[in-house]
Amino acid sequence: MRATFRLPAAAAALLIPLAGASGADDPAKIEFFEKKVRPVLVGHCSACHSADTKPAGGLRVDDRNGLLTGGNTGPAVVPGQPDKSLLLKRVTVAEGKKRMPLEGEHLSAEQVADLTAWVKDGAAWPEVRVPSALGKPNPEYDRLRKEHWAWQPLTAPAVPAVRDAAWPRDAIDRFLLAKLEAKGLKPVGDADKASLLRRVTFDLTGLPPTPAQLDFFLADGSPTAFEAVVDRLLASPQFGERWGRHWLDVARYGESTGPSRNIPYPHAWKYRDYVIDSVNADKPFDRFLREQVAGDLLPAATDAERDANKTATGFLALGVKDVNQRFKVRFEMDNVDEQIDAVTRSALALTVSCARCHDHKFDPVPQADYYSLAGIFTSTDNCAGVRNQMGGAGLAYYVPAMLVKVGKEEEAPDAAARAKVETLREAAEEAQAAFEKVRGTPEGLALGPNGRPKQQAFRQRWNKAQAELNAVTDPAARGQAVHGARDAKVVADTAVRVRGEAEKLGPVVPRGFLSVLNVPGAAPVNPQQSGRLELAGWLTSPNNPLTPRVAVNRVWQHLFGQGIVSTVDNFGVSGDTPSHPELLDHLAGRFVNDGWSTKRLVRALVLTRAYQLGSEATAAHKAVDPANKLVWRHAPRRLAAEEVRDATLLAAGTLDPARPAGSPAKSLPMIELRDNGPEAKGIYEAADASTRRSVYLPLLRGVVPRSLEAFDPVEQTLVTGQRDSTTVPGQALYLLNSGFVRTQALALADKLLADPTAGDTARIETAYRLTLGRSPTAAEAERAAAFVGEYEAAYRDQPVAAEEKPTAAATKPEGPKGPAAPIVDPDQADQSNEAVVEKVVKAKDARQAAWLAFTQALFGSAEFRYLK
Amino acid sequence: MLPFQPLSRRQALKSAGAGFGYVALAGMLGQQARAAAAAPKPLAPKAPHFTPRAKRLIFVHMNGAMSQHDTFEYKAALQKNDGKPGPGGGTLTASKFKFRQYGETGSWFSELLPNLATHADRLCWLRGLHTDTPAHPQAVVQLHTGSANAALSRPSMGAWLLYGLGTDNQDLPGYVTVNPPPNFGGAVNYGSAFLPAHFQGTRITDAGYLPNLKASAAAGLQRKQIDLIQAMNRDLAAGPAAPDAVDGVIESYELAFKMQGKVPELLDVSKEPKAVLDLYGVSDGPGGAFARQCLMARRLSEAGVRFVEICQPGWDHHNNLHKGLIDRCRSIDQSVAALLTDLDRRGLLAETLVMFGSEFGRLPTSQGQDGRDHNITGYPMFLAGAGVKKGFTHGATDEYGIKAVEGRMHTNDLHATLHALMGLDHEKLTYNYAGRDFRLTDVKGHPATEIFS
Repeated sequence: MRATFRLPAAAAALLIPLAGASGADDPAKIEFFEKKVRPVLVGHCSACHSADTKPAGGLRVDDRNGLLTGGNTGPAVVPGQPDKSLLLKRVTVAEGKKRMPLEGEHLSAEQVADLTAWVKDGAAWPEVRVPSALGKPNPEYDRLRKEHWAWQPLTAPAVPAVRDAAWPRDAIDRFLLAKLEAKGLKPVGDADKASLLRRVTFDLTGLPPTPAQLDFFLADGSPTAFEAVVDRLLASPQFGERWGRHWLDVARYGESTGPSRNIPYPHAWKYRDYVIDSVNADKPFDRFLREQVAGDLLPAATDAERDANKTATGFLALGVKDVNQRFKVRFEMDNVDEQIDAVTRSALALTVSCARCHDHKFDPVPQADYYSLAGIFTSTDNCAGVRNQMGGAGLAYYVPAMLVKVGKEEEAPDAAARAKVETLREAAEEAQAAFEKVRGTPEGLALGPNGRPKQQAFRQRWNKAQAELNAVTDPAARGQAVHGARDAKVVADTAVRVRGEAEKLGPVVPRGFLSVLNVPGAAPVNPQQSGRLELAGWLTSPNNPLTPRVAVNRVWQHLFGQGIVSTVDNFGVSGDTPSHPELLDHLAGRFVNDGWSTKRLVRALVLTRAYQLGSEATAAHKAVDPANKLVWRHAPRRLAAEEVRDATLLAAGTLDPARPAGSPAKSLPMIELRDNGPEAKGIYEAADASTRRSVYLPLLRGVVPRSLEAFDPVEQTLVTGQRDSTTVPGQALYLLNSGFVRTQALALADKLLADPTAGDTARIETAYRLTLGRSPTAAEAERAAAFVGEYEAAYRDQPVAAEEKPTAAATKPEGPKGPAAPIVDPDQADQSNEAVVEKVVKAKDARQAAWLAFTQALFGSAEFRYLK
Repeated sequence: MLPFQPLSRRQALKSAGAGFGYVALAGMLGQQARAAAAAPKPLAPKAPHFTPRAKRLIFVHMNGAMSQHDTFEYKAALQKNDGKPGPGGGTLTASKFKFRQYGETGSWFSELLPNLATHADRLCWLRGLHTDTPAHPQAVVQLHTGSANAALSRPSMGAWLLYGLGTDNQDLPGYVTVNPPPNFGGAVNYGSAFLPAHFQGTRITDAGYLPNLKASAAAGLQRKQIDLIQAMNRDLAAGPAAPDAVDGVIESYELAFKMQGKVPELLDVSKEPKAVLDLYGVSDGPGGAFARQCLMARRLSEAGVRFVEICQPGWDHHNNLHKGLIDRCRSIDQSVAALLTDLDRRGLLAETLVMFGSEFGRLPTSQGQDGRDHNITGYPMFLAGAGVKKGFTHGATDEYGIKAVEGRMHTNDLHATLHALMGLDHEKLTYNYAGRDFRLTDVKGHPATEIFS
């Protein structure tokens, strides 16, 4: 077949059909295959080498590409070259263990002759049926490209006139007010100063204002008082910790591969720090994106800059990976898909992954466009440090060479060091050879005294030797590695995969970008490179209207509660339409003209009149615009999980604001992390013990810190532009009973009680100001004092309970402390639950108990977790 | 987190302990403002698509792939051809365990499952199952989420059921998983992925442990503290700038307070009469863990939990098949049989569907001296109870039990069937995420209506 595709680089490009190459168009060859070859493959090989069984040695024979790609030892079939085809060697070789099939009878001479003839004749295979729609022009797509709002060039809308000219402070206010006036609505009044300070401090730093900051602001009567606050917050390192976290949500940041075997990413924290530092430095957003997509291909003036650029590409590498995937090609294509999804949804709010299997159902993203992008990523090494493997324990999934090296090259090692490495390398190779020799043989499968096959001991010896070698050769062992991306050795266009099945090759499509957008002047893919550099350029071109629209909309959402486009990760046809399209373009244009400065954008937005509105709702407003889409007030917002925890620590006086060196995940070996293993337990405990900001907690996928779990932490496997905000009893249980909240409440109680001269009234005042950012009313102070008195008396009257045992969590007996015994077969790993012991916080006397109950009640109040 | 959903406003006002309105779950749309327009209550019971045949589901998960050829898949041809080459390679190996027929249906069971065998005429066998990936991590994830692509997390079937049906008892989680596997996808198997978090499964241990459930103070003292919190919350609720969800916060405390009493009571199996404990074979310590799980499953289901999953791992017998099976079967036979008996005696089996099985099966050929390798091309599971025919067999494998040849059911078909039994059309139960309508069965799946009673 020959088909014409709509492609971005050229109006039309030719696809390279593969059918002829596979001999699918020659009926005689196909008949020979079906009669003579397929029965041999099915009858003698596929029990161990097919998609339905284990692909022993990584080989599958039920698919032509499987044979051509081959298994761990190389291509099984080289069309036209029987002498180079391992398949033919292995069915004829004399040596016992290598002779295939391992079980059952050898192939007859006739069968071998048929296979040989088939290979010689080009290894014909029935054609993969390519859907007829593939590559056909689609008028509906053409219409959408021309008409859908999101993909049209940026406009420069005129700032509208408003009736109440005194109200607006910025053009942004005029865009909002014009719409309100059109609906006959007026904005509510301005927020009070205390609420405003609390709002802006949380919004910009994720922390509450301190009582001193509150007093200062309340006392500052100058017209620039608020501006001064905003500039102070923007300049604080906490800004990057809050706004870096927003990007980490979108970048689906996590410190492990996630399912199916959870392998840690011990260097992921370097990417986290890179993001925070970039935000704090106000790195232009276009530059920030370019570094993450193609940092390794950008010029760098210094070593430090080069390393930062490489670290940025962690964005591509730190996604979810199914390392237990049996087939390399599927592993690769799944990872390619994961990267396409991360790039296109984060930067473009486009769901391009929908076009992996077929043309996009809603948006004009033909399947061919998907594979134009896919070619860029198949030409890129996803250097997360892991490979796919079925089964396999210990370091089997870890490939040090598949990490990106950073830092200075080590000085040339001396002779003694080189000799040591050589010795260890030989030992590892010998141990591997010994294992390979015994693996799968009757001797190897025979049970040893421990009831396990004897070959497992060989595997363990290999693992140990390999670990010793890695310890001296692996750059990661010296901290000189990051998870990132680099161009692959082979750079090439890739084929459309029919129905998205990795092995079912359709026509090849040239690498390129998406036809949904017209980006004049964007450079085409450099044929010598992967194309990520040009992709980065296309994404951030001043002529690309979508990237700045998506970026400013995300910022808007974080400050106003909902996006101008409420579906922040989907600007496609199935997404929402903008409530204020002119304002969106105004902001996007302003953002680009302002050098893609996120800080300047944030500054402009919080200085608007609209941002500083009160949160009061009136029935009249609600009747017209219940969802506040027109921004007649500043809607209350619930704090995110990180803010709840950080505000608790800050109020308790226990927050350590310094950035920790790395992450508790940093010292984890790249070995499967089970929920019930000592490593996971160690991570949970490190998180429990931490008093650092939440952004620095260990965030291994599936091992969510208990102090974040209750308040809708981000789902780390998915691009997430918008957090959930649920209200469930689990939150109340957490606030009432968790060791973390009780510990912090006790710390705050002790702080209040520390000054023996302070009266209870002053203590209550301090507690309110620390937790809620305001002074209590007289009635509140009175209620609190009464509570403390009554609680103290009631506590004294309590019968003294016998010291209770901590809750036992599981029936698993406490195992020996220390590292887990090496696991030989991960499928056979211990499945029982790790015993969890909950921390019990008890007061030492009635008075402390009463103040603990009071401070904990403040943390538990709805007001603590909502911003006006 | 505990994905509970409160009573409807009317129910809440009627019930004695909770007088503060309803929990407004703002997270449904992720936006306060939208929630204000129509406060969604996603865990409240919802109308199914059609009349349900079963109200609740219990999945007894034999993680690791139980060998059907040694337990309940009898093949005369395998017995006859023991030791001969199998089609497609390997050596056919008949079970070392004795089989015989049970009940009026004459169903075959091996000597490993004498108690379960007494339920022969109650079971509805699906013998033509097949799945996509012969590796535990992907297959377990696929069995739970419908997709073998472990790299893209999808909601678990329990999360879909809650999303589609809500749950009857608002004081309890709607979806409980006991001792889920710590690997093979871990939390993905009971997660909600892109569905809102309140649909995810609540993980408990066989000792009844749930985080943060144990009250940190005596009830009287804690009530005092909650009263203070609620007074503060009511002040906030009364103001003009009250967050929409503040009523929900108030209700969440009342529910939490009640749960601290009720849930431990429900999970504490020790209060059961001795006859019941003996029926299940409950004993202290790890040896009695699975019996406890079975009894907890009955108690949770009886209390209205929509979906309960219990799990016994350790079936991956690539070696040590003989002793391993004796040990594993002994650990489950009495308890699973007791679960069926107990549910039946209490009349619960009429509304409760029980599903029993593994992520895939094993081959009739041998692996090493004493093992069997994975088989995804044909393997059985059974259903029992509400909505399914009794003493019925749907589907079959070939003469040796390798490949499903009749009544073939892919995992997607199994899920479509479970949905249909629960009153849901698997094609209609969709959730829009990332611009596309997702469902448990992806783009496939047909319910096996032949098995419906």
